[in-house]
Amino acid sequence: MNLEKLKEIVRTVLPSVDVVVGYKKGFDALHPVPCFLTSPEEIDALVLNPACVHNLAAYLPSLKNKAAVVVKGCDSRTVVQLAQEGLIKRENVVVIGVPCQGTVSVRKVLSAINHQPVIGASFENDTLVVKTKKGETRLALHDVLSDKCLTCRYPTPVLSDHLAGEQIEPKTAGKEAYQDIRDFDARSLEERRAYWLKEFDRCIRCYACRNACPLCVCRESCIAETRDPHWMSQRATQNEKMMFHMIHAIHLAGRCTECGECERACPMGIPVAKLKKKINMEMKELFGYEPGISMDDKPPMYTFKVEEEKIEEHKIR
Amino acid sequence: MSSEQLTAAVKNPYLPDLATVVGVVDETPNIKSFRVVLNDEEKMKRFSFEPGQVGQLSVFGVGESTFVINSPPTRMEYLQFSVMKAGEATAALHELSLGDQIGVRAPLGNWFPYRQMKGRDILFVGGGIGLAPLRTLILFMLDTRKDYGDITIIYGARSHADLCYKEDLEDWGKRHDIELILTVDANSPGPPIREGFVPTILNEVAPKPDHKVAITCGPPIMIKYVLQNLAQLGFKDVDVITTLEARMKCGIGLCGRCNIGSSFICKDGPVFSLAELKRLKFEM
Amino acid sequence: MKKARYLKKQKEKEFIAALGAKARVYAPCLEDEAVLFKPAEPDSTICLSRPAVSSPKSVIYPQSETLFSFRFKKDAEDKRRTLVELDDTIEVPDTIIFGARPCDARGIAIIDRAFSKTDTPDPYYLARREKTTIVTLTCPEPSSGCFCTWVGCGPAETSNSDVMMTEVEDGYLMEALTEKGEALLESPILEDGTPYEAQAREAQKAAHERMVKEAGETDTTPVDPETFDSQAFWEKAAERCLGCGACTYLCPTCYCFNITDETVVDKGERIRSWDACMFHHFTLEASGHNPRAAKALRLKNRIGHKFLYYGEKYDGIIACSGCGRCIRGCPVSMEISTIASALKKNSGTVSGEQ
Repeated sequence: MNLEKLKEIVRTVLPSVDVVVGYKKGFDALHPVPCFLTSPEEIDALVLNPACVHNLAAYLPSLKNKAAVVVKGCDSRTVVQLAQEGLIKRENVVVIGVPCQGTVSVRKVLSAINHQPVIGASFENDTLVVKTKKGETRLALHDVLSDKCLTCRYPTPVLSDHLAGEQIEPKTAGKEAYQDIRDFDARSLEERRAYWLKEFDRCIRCYACRNACPLCVCRESCIAETRDPHWMSQRATQNEKMMFHMIHAIHLAGRCTECGECERACPMGIPVAKLKKKINMEMKELFGYEPGISMDDKPPMYTFKVEEEKIEEHKIR
Repeated sequence: MSSEQLTAAVKNPYLPDLATVVGVVDETPNIKSFRVVLNDEEKMKRFSFEPGQVGQLSVFGVGESTFVINSPPTRMEYLQFSVMKAGEATAALHELSLGDQIGVRAPLGNWFPYRQMKGRDILFVGGGIGLAPLRTLILFMLDTRKDYGDITIIYGARSHADLCYKEDLEDWGKRHDIELILTVDANSPGPPIREGFVPTILNEVAPKPDHKVAITCGPPIMIKYVLQNLAQLGFKDVDVITTLEARMKCGIGLCGRCNIGSSFICKDGPVFSLAELKRLKFEM
Repeated sequence: MKKARYLKKQKEKEFIAALGAKARVYAPCLEDEAVLFKPAEPDSTICLSRPAVSSPKSVIYPQSETLFSFRFKKDAEDKRRTLVELDDTIEVPDTIIFGARPCDARGIAIIDRAFSKTDTPDPYYLARREKTTIVTLTCPEPSSGCFCTWVGCGPAETSNSDVMMTEVEDGYLMEALTEKGEALLESPILEDGTPYEAQAREAQKAAHERMVKEAGETDTTPVDPETFDSQAFWEKAAERCLGCGACTYLCPTCYCFNITDETVVDKGERIRSWDACMFHHFTLEASGHNPRAAKALRLKNRIGHKFLYYGEKYDGIIACSGCGRCIRGCPVSMEISTIASALKKNSGTVSGEQ
C-alpha cells in the first residue's frame, strides 16, 4: 500500500471536494480509524497499511455535497452498489482506489500475541511485527489476514477516479471463493442449527453489524426495533436474535458487497458474514450475479423475468 | 431459589393501578378525553395530586404513554386525561370505550408552583392540546378563586374544530371572574372568532408583566415564540412557566430517555420556569 | 474481618463447583476466542487472564426481563367486559459473580446508586442485587484502552466487592470484605491465607502503580463548560461514530432501558430491555420530533451523563469505570478517554493518546 502516492492524490483532490474520508492513527497501531479531512494540514496524519480495515464507503450516504473516499477493492464494490441504488450520486463522489493485498483481522493478531496490549506494530512486506511489553512477535501476514481476504476476487478497486498503486491480480476465482460455505453446508441440519444458536446466544443486539453495514437502509423501520410492523420483541433470546440476523442477511440478498464489516464490527466475534456470504453464493449460482461490480449491472432482485434460467418452477403433482 | 412478591418488599413503581374508563369525550377530530376511576375504591378515595402532575396510561399489550392529569384535584369524581392520536399507544387509547380496563401510574412528576402564585394575576397562553395542562390549573384556580388576582386566558388552535374543551371555553367565556381571548389560525364554519396565531395575539393584547405569572403550553414552535414575546413584554424568566413533553418510558427518572442534562422531564418536570430552562441550556 | 483464605489454582474448578451447589455462579468463560460471563458449568473453561468482553452487569440487570405479566379474562357478570389481571412475581436466585474486575464492581456500584438512591427505587434490580455476591479479581495488567485510575477506580480497588481475589504463588489470596464475602469463604477447599498476605499486598501495589503509569492518577479537573457546550467539538468527536449500541451494552455503568408490551391472544408481558441513548430513535417522539436526532448530540449526552450529569445528581461521582471496553469493542475505536480528557482541557495524556 503506497501511502505517499495516496497523500499526493489527496493533495490534488482536496480542493475540489468538501471532505476526504481516509484513515488516521487510532488508540494503538493495530487500530487506525476513519478520518474526515477538510484542510491540507491534516493530510500528513493519513495512514495506510493492512490495519486499515474499515469500509469508508459506508459514510458516503450521510455526507452532504462532494466527498472523496479512500477505498480498497471490497470497499469500491460498495461505492458501485450505493450508486446503483441511488443512495449516493456518482458525480458527487471522487473515488481514490487503493489496490490491496489484504487487511489484518485484529482478532487473529490478538490471539497470536495472547491478547497483550499492543505498544507498536509495523508492516514489513509479508510480515506484521507486533511489539508488546513482553517483546516482539513476527507474524506472517497471511496467517492473520481477515477471512474475507483469503478469498478476495477484487484486490484492485473495480472503479476509481484515482489509483494509489499498481493493479493487483486476484488470488481466487469465482467458485473457489465459496468453498468454505459449501463445506459448512455439508454439515447436517442439526449441526448447523446448533452452531448458529450457539453463536447467536452471545449476540447482545447492539446492532454494530447493522450500523457498520453500508447497505443497511431500513433505519427507523428496522425490524429489530420497530413496532410497525411488529414482528420481533425486545427479548434477548436466541430466537429473536436469530430472526434479526436472518432477516438482515436476507435484506442484503443481491446487495451485499462482502466488505465483511458486519463480522469485524461485532464485539462478540460472531461470524455473521458467513450468512451473507451464503446468500451471495446462492445469488451467484442462481443468477450469475455479483453485487457491486459494474455500474451498468441490473441487480436480479430489481428485475423480473417470467422464465428464470436456473430456478425450477414449482411443480404441482 | 426464591420467588419475590415485589409489591410486598418495596413499592413497585412500574406496576400500574387498574382503572376503568367511565367517560369518553370527543374534543377534536384527533383528541379525546378519557375519564377514569381506579378500580381499587380505597385507592381512588385516597388519591391526591397537584395540578400539573402527569400519569402514565397503559393499554396492556400495547404500551404506556404520558398525559397530564387534566382534571383538577378539587374535582375527584374521576381522573381525566386528554389524548391526541399520534402513535401506537395513543391510537390504542382512542379505541377505548366505557367500561374498558386500563392501567394508571400516577401521580408522576412535579407540579405548577401555584402556592407561589397566590395573590398574583395569572396569564395563561395556550395552543391546541397545550390547553390540557393549563385546564387543570385553570379549573383548580377557579375552584379556589379568591386566592388569585385577575385570570386571563389567551387560547388558540388551527381551526374551530381543533379547539379543545369547547364546553369549558363556553363556560369561561360567560364568566365575569376570568377573561378569555379565543383565537384561531384561520376561521372556519362556526361562530366567528378572532383570527391570528397565538404569539401574535399575545403581542396585540400586550399584557403588562407587573404582578403577573405567565403559564404557557402548546406546540414547540408556539412556545418558542410565546416565550420570546413574553420576554419582550417584560416578563421575568422566573415568572414564566411552561410544561414540556418528551418520549417517556419509566416515568420515574431512571430509563435515561427524557433528560435535559441531569434533569428528567418526567421527574424534575414537566413543569419548568423559563429561568430553569435557561439554566439547563434547553433549546426549544 | 476474619483471616484471609487461600485458593490453590488446581482447586479453582472444585471451589466454583462447590459454590454452584448453593447458588448460580457466573464466571468469565472462554467461548471460541471471546471471554464472556456465563453460568459456570462443569465443562466451562474459566478464563481469568484477561477481562471479559462484556461486563457482568447482565447478571444483576438482565438484558431483558419481565416486569409483570397480564391476563385478559371475560367478566363473569358481564361478558361484554374484559378484565385484566397483573402479576409481578419474579424469581430471584442466589447468585455469585466470580472473577469480576474492580471496574465491573465499580460499574455495579454506579447502577446500584441510580436504582436505589431515588424515591422510586427499582425493586427488580434491588431484589437481584441483594442476592448477589461479588468476587473481584485484582487486575494484574492493564489491557489496551484501560484507564481506571484516571476516573478514580483502580486494579486493586475493593469498593462494592464482597471478596477480593489476588493472584499469588500458585493460587489466589481470598479476602472477605463483607459478611456475604465471609460466608462465601467458609469452605474446606480453601486454606489459611496468612502466609500469602504480604505477597498479595505487593501484587496489589504493583498493579496499581502499573495502571497509574499507563493512565495517570485520578483526575478531578471539572469538565470545561464552554467545551462541553460547543457544537463543533461534538460534531468532530462524533464524526466516525456509527450510532450503534456496542459501547453502551459492553459498558459496566450504562443502564438506560426500554419498556415494551408483548401479547399472545389473552396473555402477555411488559418487558424491560436494555436500550442505548446512542440509537437515533431513542428520543424520537410520536410527532416525529427528535431532540437528539444528531449523532453529535447523542454522543454529548452519553459522555455528558458519565462525566457530568451523573455527578450533578450524585456527589460528583464519575459514572465511568475506565475499563476500556467501549474503546476495544467499538467498530471505529471511539475513545471516551480522549474525549473526556479534551472536555477537561487536559494537556495530560491518557492511555495511548499521542
